[in-house]
Amino acid sequence: MRGRFDRHLTPYLFVAPFFAVFAVFGAYPLLMTLWMSLHDWHLINGAGDWTGLANYTELFSDPDFWNALGNTLSLFVISTVPQLILALFLAALLNTKLRGRTFWRAGVLIPNVVSVVAVALVFAQVFGRDFGIVNWLLGLAGVDPIDWPADVWSSHLAIALIVTWRWTGYNALIYLAAMQAVPNDLYESARLDGASNWRAFWTVTVPMIRPTILFTTVVSTIGGLQLFAEPLLFESKGASTGTGGSDRQYQTITMYLYEKGFTLFDAGYAATIAWVLFLVVALIALVNFALVRRAVASR
Amino acid sequence: MSSVFARKGARLAAGLVVAALAVTGCGSTDDGADGEKITLTVATFSDFGYEPLIKEFQATHPNITVKTRVTEFDQHHKQLATRLGAGAGTADLEAVEEGYMPQFRQSKDKFYNLADYGAKDLASQWLPWKWQQSLADNGNFVMGLGTDMGGLALCYRSDLFKAAGLPTSRDEVSALWTSWDDYFGVGTRFAASGTKAKWFDGVGNIYTAMLNQIPFGYFDTTDAYVGDTNANVKSAFDKVAAAAANPGMSAKLDPFSQQWNVGFKQGTFATLPCPSWMLGLIKDGSGPENAGKWDIAKIPGGGGNWGGSFLTVPKQGKHPKEAYELAKFLTSPESEAKIFQNVGSLPSQPETLKNPAVLGFKNEYFTNAPVGEIYAKSGESLQPNYRGTRDADVRPVFGRALARVEQGKQSAADAWAQAVSEAAKALGK
Repeated sequence: MRGRFDRHLTPYLFVAPFFAVFAVFGAYPLLMTLWMSLHDWHLINGAGDWTGLANYTELFSDPDFWNALGNTLSLFVISTVPQLILALFLAALLNTKLRGRTFWRAGVLIPNVVSVVAVALVFAQVFGRDFGIVNWLLGLAGVDPIDWPADVWSSHLAIALIVTWRWTGYNALIYLAAMQAVPNDLYESARLDGASNWRAFWTVTVPMIRPTILFTTVVSTIGGLQLFAEPLLFESKGASTGTGGSDRQYQTITMYLYEKGFTLFDAGYAATIAWVLFLVVALIALVNFALVRRAVASR
Repeated sequence: MSSVFARKGARLAAGLVVAALAVTGCGSTDDGADGEKITLTVATFSDFGYEPLIKEFQATHPNITVKTRVTEFDQHHKQLATRLGAGAGTADLEAVEEGYMPQFRQSKDKFYNLADYGAKDLASQWLPWKWQQSLADNGNFVMGLGTDMGGLALCYRSDLFKAAGLPTSRDEVSALWTSWDDYFGVGTRFAASGTKAKWFDGVGNIYTAMLNQIPFGYFDTTDAYVGDTNANVKSAFDKVAAAAANPGMSAKLDPFSQQWNVGFKQGTFATLPCPSWMLGLIKDGSGPENAGKWDIAKIPGGGGNWGGSFLTVPKQGKHPKEAYELAKFLTSPESEAKIFQNVGSLPSQPETLKNPAVLGFKNEYFTNAPVGEIYAKSGESLQPNYRGTRDADVRPVFGRALARVEQGKQSAADAWAQAVSEAAKALGK
């Protein structure tokens, strides 16, 4: 009798901590945010009037929201796509019999462990208008100095570079771990069949690590759509309102959320942005999942 | 996926809870019956110069331990807001800067009314406008006790003035201008002299200074929005926009940014408006190699106030009486005089402004400028500026418009039109 009880209850007890933590830090904020988004909610003073879906209606006709969504997608594409492709080749390189392998493998992770604030400071100098290295190099080639944060294309390019620099190594290590699990005999038979390294990479490595590619794509999508720290820190310190430049040229959705919620104290509207972002991320991750699965399968 | 959202949600709703969990140790948790040991926390942004004063206070109040918490300016106010919203984590005394007062005044119920502890008896201690700024609810509610203020002056590089053939002594320089038109006129002469440096740092500081010289800006004193019709605002906007469009005038730097600091070090601009609290930033940015090159002259356009703070007592604190005592001590005329000599924050009290120790104070870095006399004079004569309840919604909109003109992205007229419509949208909600 007791044994049966144990067998029924013990597994639940073992998984209970996860669900308890999830309930507090996952489910509760999720539902609370939904509740907030249906109210006129002041950050400090709390719940005001029930407004139903008014926040959502307003959001969908809010040009600043669509601008932020466009910026987010643009930054996501120009930072995530090159990042993952680069990571894949970097991993393949690290997977070869390189001299000082451990050094290189640990090295690629360094950008990821450096504090993002330090990264932003350094890149702000690199992309400085008057005394930045990039403009100095361009100047040698006869190009006029560029005010990087001032325009859409230049600000997006600079921010994408920061993101790519930070996250390529991280993804490369994940790919590398997957590549190490690919059985060696597959490569041996490929080589016996006369396949070049390039050919073996595409027909053996890539299909074998498909689940990992899927995983990194989904995770990068989530991360990319929530892009916040890099563009926020790209703003100069005196104007850290989350607006993303003089004409919102690099304001992402999370920055817009930050501006509304924490600069203007409109927590209800910020919660609405959070929920819509959640749905957008879920949707794009699903589409991504389907696309990448098909693309990699057809190889 | 839900964990993704959890992260997002956490930032909104329970990030506050997390923050609260992380800082509950900071507030005063012990019970403070008479004579029992209690701890008070003072949260400020930047150096308020309180350390020596706190030692004094602890010596006379042996049962009270005072801790300090210093955060960066924006961070400090955003944390205060989230902690007030979360219901936990605020310090016993929280500094609130003038620009944030309208926003926090809307949440006065989260603060103790200092009138209940006798604050109204102290009213005459401050300049009348400074006292007014600390009130809510038609004067029935005292939000906080005033600390410093930011009387305006104009800092200039005498070496760059000399190179451009302009006078260099502070009296001669002050005599160069009365109005902002005079100032921009001298700037044109400066730019025409062939110097590489620009006339001022960027549109941000100049425009802020000008707005602080008019009685009210985007909202009139009845709190009605007048940003689109107030001739004073439009005139300031147009003057700054015209100057920004002139290539030799603006170094196009965002105030307080890293590049702004580099600008100080490299000497890329010759002037900027400087309330007294700005002197420390100028000195830090310029570094010892530029000592003696900066000096301080009269600001064009008349007196004005930019900045200054208040010490508030959030309701989360368990010892409002003791916290009030501490705030009263830290803002007393004697304390304000000491603070001015230690860190240069300009006292907001007429008595302190007449104090010989304050009046006679000179700043070595700024060519030994008599900063006590300069700022005391500007502080006594200044005209306060009214900020509307929703000032924070529209002020940045017009600031960004000028930045677009400065960056060459828009004409002044287009930038103004866009700002007016953006401001209307921001307030329409």
